[in-house]
Amino acid sequence: MSSFAIAMGLVVVVFTAVTVSATDFSLAGIVEDLGRQNSSFAGLLHLDWSQVTNTRALSAFVETVQMAVVGTIVGGFAALPLALWNSRVGAPNAAVYAAAKSFNNVVRAIPDVLWALLFVAMVGIGVLPGILALIFFSIAVTSKLTSDVLDGIDQGPVEAAHATGAGHTAMLRTAIVPQVLPSYISFLLYNFELNLRASAVLGLVGAGGIGQLIDFYRNARAWRQVWGLIVLFFIITFLVERLSLYFRRRLV
Amino acid sequence: MIQFSKASVTYPGGVQALKDLDLTIEQGDFVVIVGLSGAGKSTLIRAVNGLVPLTSGSLTVDTADGDGGRRSREVVGLSGAGLRDLRAEVGMIFQGFNLVKRTTVLNNVLMGRLHRVPTWRTLVGRYPKDDVEIAMRALERVEIVEKAYVRASNLSGGQQQRVGIARALAQEPSIILADEPVASLDPPTSHAVMRYLQQINRELGITTVVNLHFLDLATRYADRIIGLRSGELVFDGPGSAADDRVFRDIYGRSLTAEDVMGDADEDDVQAAAGHTPVDGGAPE
Repeated sequence: MSSFAIAMGLVVVVFTAVTVSATDFSLAGIVEDLGRQNSSFAGLLHLDWSQVTNTRALSAFVETVQMAVVGTIVGGFAALPLALWNSRVGAPNAAVYAAAKSFNNVVRAIPDVLWALLFVAMVGIGVLPGILALIFFSIAVTSKLTSDVLDGIDQGPVEAAHATGAGHTAMLRTAIVPQVLPSYISFLLYNFELNLRASAVLGLVGAGGIGQLIDFYRNARAWRQVWGLIVLFFIITFLVERLSLYFRRRLV
Repeated sequence: MIQFSKASVTYPGGVQALKDLDLTIEQGDFVVIVGLSGAGKSTLIRAVNGLVPLTSGSLTVDTADGDGGRRSREVVGLSGAGLRDLRAEVGMIFQGFNLVKRTTVLNNVLMGRLHRVPTWRTLVGRYPKDDVEIAMRALERVEIVEKAYVRASNLSGGQQQRVGIARALAQEPSIILADEPVASLDPPTSHAVMRYLQQINRELGITTVVNLHFLDLATRYADRIIGLRSGELVFDGPGSAADDRVFRDIYGRSLTAEDVMGDADEDDVQAAAGHTPVDGGAPE
């Protein structure tokens, strides 16, 4: 074993020990908590299956899917030019490159729930702040993944397009976009799955969708209903994942 | 006409690729540039359309202006729209073909029309009928029009290079530059590609400048051979005047089997030029 590996191992051990003592972490405490009467987990044993067919739950889910669709489409489309400008080969000039890079860094640094909180404060509770949050979240995810692919593209067509006297945008469209399109679409589908999941949490801060209903039952300590919604959520995300996997396989 | 005078190119890092080059290429010439790799062939060709800027000296390029007249440009100092206007008049063919493999042959050839097509049309992929027509005619000239809607990745190497030629032709250029166009191809396919270039030069009067390593290809197709060695002109004369002694001089060493492509059977050349998928290289 190299001395570097030994040093890294030591760092991990020391860091873990320091953290455990600083946060008063104890396994005994967890075991003790597990043995205690727990109303939220007790709800799992008697979950409310009627939620799966409940019209209120289903309409909240439709809202969630709508939020995810609009967020993915609007944010995903905005992400493509931002991803292109985020690379040396795709940026028309140094100023646009710097601007796109800093914009993407800022958008990426803010997590989805924080976006939702900001927009709820800005436009009030409801679906709109949720959609706005998902748009920015989608820009962050899709532009980052797509611009990583850009580093590995074949530069030959780019040179060919420049040699024909094509303008910059025409070059991007004809020499670069066809090369990254399959990956980009696959990232959009993946982003849609992420948005669907994120929307469950966004509702907790008042940004619409199924999360708002989960929050309502949680505040009422109606754990059986909460678990029913979680089962419904599981079914829907599973179906969407299978569907998106099917489309992504066909793309490659 | 292409006119270099006292043209030098020094790359960052100090490599001097062209040294005080004086060279005039007349309108309609078929010129082959030979030399070892690193002799400055690629730099010379890329200077013509401004892909590599001159460090010093001057370079004037004369092209048709579209109204039957001619227009002369100093390449040094060109940028932005001026540079794009020049490039639109100069077609380029590459060693690695430089096609977008995931898209159709026709889309690749339409790249040659980008300078004329409004950007919004390019963005939505709705090319004007006239431009599609020009692209199709370019494909006809290299006898591969039946592959117009096939993905470029499904073509063999020789077929891909013909698409590369069609893309350059679609620009309706005054000059065609070809940078080692046959270096990735087998002998019969190489001869076929050289014949297309020669035919285009003869029939359309397009000035053609080709970089080649193989001296037999050079003597067979060139009207005029330019020999470069370490960025300097060491030979300039008709193809017939270039014998082994001249090449030894250009290459600075005795010739080896690798400097000769070898003759292809006439049958092979015909097959490679035709529609059968026997030409060089497996599809990538």
